[in-house]
Amino acid sequence: MMECKKIRKNLVAFLYGELEEKEKIHLTSHLDLCPQCKSELERLRVAVNGANSLKPNIEETMASVDWEALPSQIADRVFKEEAEFPRESWFTRFTRSLFQPKLRPVYAGVLLGVLIGALTTYMIFRVPRPGETGTAELFAPQDFLERVELQMARRETLNYLEKSQYLLLDFVEYPSEKKVEFWRSEFTSQRARELLTKKKYINPQLNKFKMAKAKAICDQIELFFYELSRVSEELSVEQIEEIQRLIDEKQLLLKIKLLKKELEESEV
Amino acid sequence: MEQERVREQDDTYTLVERVKEGDREAFMTVTELYQKKVFLLAYSFFQNKDDAMDIVQETFLRLYQKANLFQKGKNFQSWLLQIAKNLCIDYYRKHHSKETKFDREVPIEEMNLPAQNSQACYLSSDLKEIFSSCLDKLAERQRMIFVMKHYNQHKYKEIAQILNISLGTVKSLHFKAVQNLRGLMSPYLGREG
Repeated sequence: MMECKKIRKNLVAFLYGELEEKEKIHLTSHLDLCPQCKSELERLRVAVNGANSLKPNIEETMASVDWEALPSQIADRVFKEEAEFPRESWFTRFTRSLFQPKLRPVYAGVLLGVLIGALTTYMIFRVPRPGETGTAELFAPQDFLERVELQMARRETLNYLEKSQYLLLDFVEYPSEKKVEFWRSEFTSQRARELLTKKKYINPQLNKFKMAKAKAICDQIELFFYELSRVSEELSVEQIEEIQRLIDEKQLLLKIKLLKKELEESEV
Repeated sequence: MEQERVREQDDTYTLVERVKEGDREAFMTVTELYQKKVFLLAYSFFQNKDDAMDIVQETFLRLYQKANLFQKGKNFQSWLLQIAKNLCIDYYRKHHSKETKFDREVPIEEMNLPAQNSQACYLSSDLKEIFSSCLDKLAERQRMIFVMKHYNQHKYKEIAQILNISLGTVKSLHFKAVQNLRGLMSPYLGREG
């Protein structure tokens, strides 16, 4: 069966004498033994013979053409056309094909792309002219920025007060006999130093927004921590008690608490 | 034999060189040598004399315009027939692609072909009409290969060169063309035919 399949693919080539001698011998010996393939060959031969039916027609038509006159007729047409439209050089043909109308949309697209690209590059990399500096003032009203700054100052102050409160509370709640150790410890002095630094940072804001009450309390706290950090090395039990008394007397913790509440309530 | 072929090729190349320079005599000689081959290809393809004559004229006009592109060492006949083949296909797509079959006075189904055997069919004067219609139904490439092989009597190798495809493809498409023709003709030729 496989053999028949192979043979049948060669039947047309066999009919047209396109098989090599070896293939031809192989095919004819197969046809002698296989009636199916032989009958397939005959069926194909009918189609080929059908094609022959057109041959007389072709010969007749070919005979009707004046072959002697035709070259001259064609030459007349060709050379007449050349006189009217001379043959173009390869360069002319190339430039003409480059600018043919059907390519116009392509060029228009490319040009548009280049323009958009150039414009985008210009917008991204352009150097602003003097007086055209792109600051935030251009985009936000002054009063809005001031409100933001005020809000930030409040938060900073609150943060400062909170940390101070915790430190003072830690001190107050510490057992009396260990209070000296508390102030001498590295951790406490670091917290106090941080609060002193923070106070320096919020000072200008407190002045700017005229938060006088808050500033007064913060100043007291600052002074308090400053004194403590300065003398912590030589603190005596009496001095500790004095500090304790001062905190109580000035009601520092209460003031902090009230100020915090006030600042929280005034937040938007 | 080989020497003769080479000399012939050299002569053709000399002629084409002269055509490039605009030599009318050389152009007429080339036309005279190859006009019948081009006509045969076009006529077998279209089965119409006017279409075939148009193709012949266009082919030689293109030859004159594109002579500069012909390179020495290439087969001139294959190159020229390649031009003709391209023109045939373009012309067919432009003028015949919407037709399902050639115009005919009597529809193929109404032809009197009660063929009982193949011999009877051969004798029928309508056979060429039947065959012409069946040939027209073949796919472009199959038809072109069949025509080149059957009427122009080109070798498979030459067809492969002209159509710029492999030898195996030519062989396979030719086989399919004949098989399809047989299938298309069978309703009109009887079972055995």
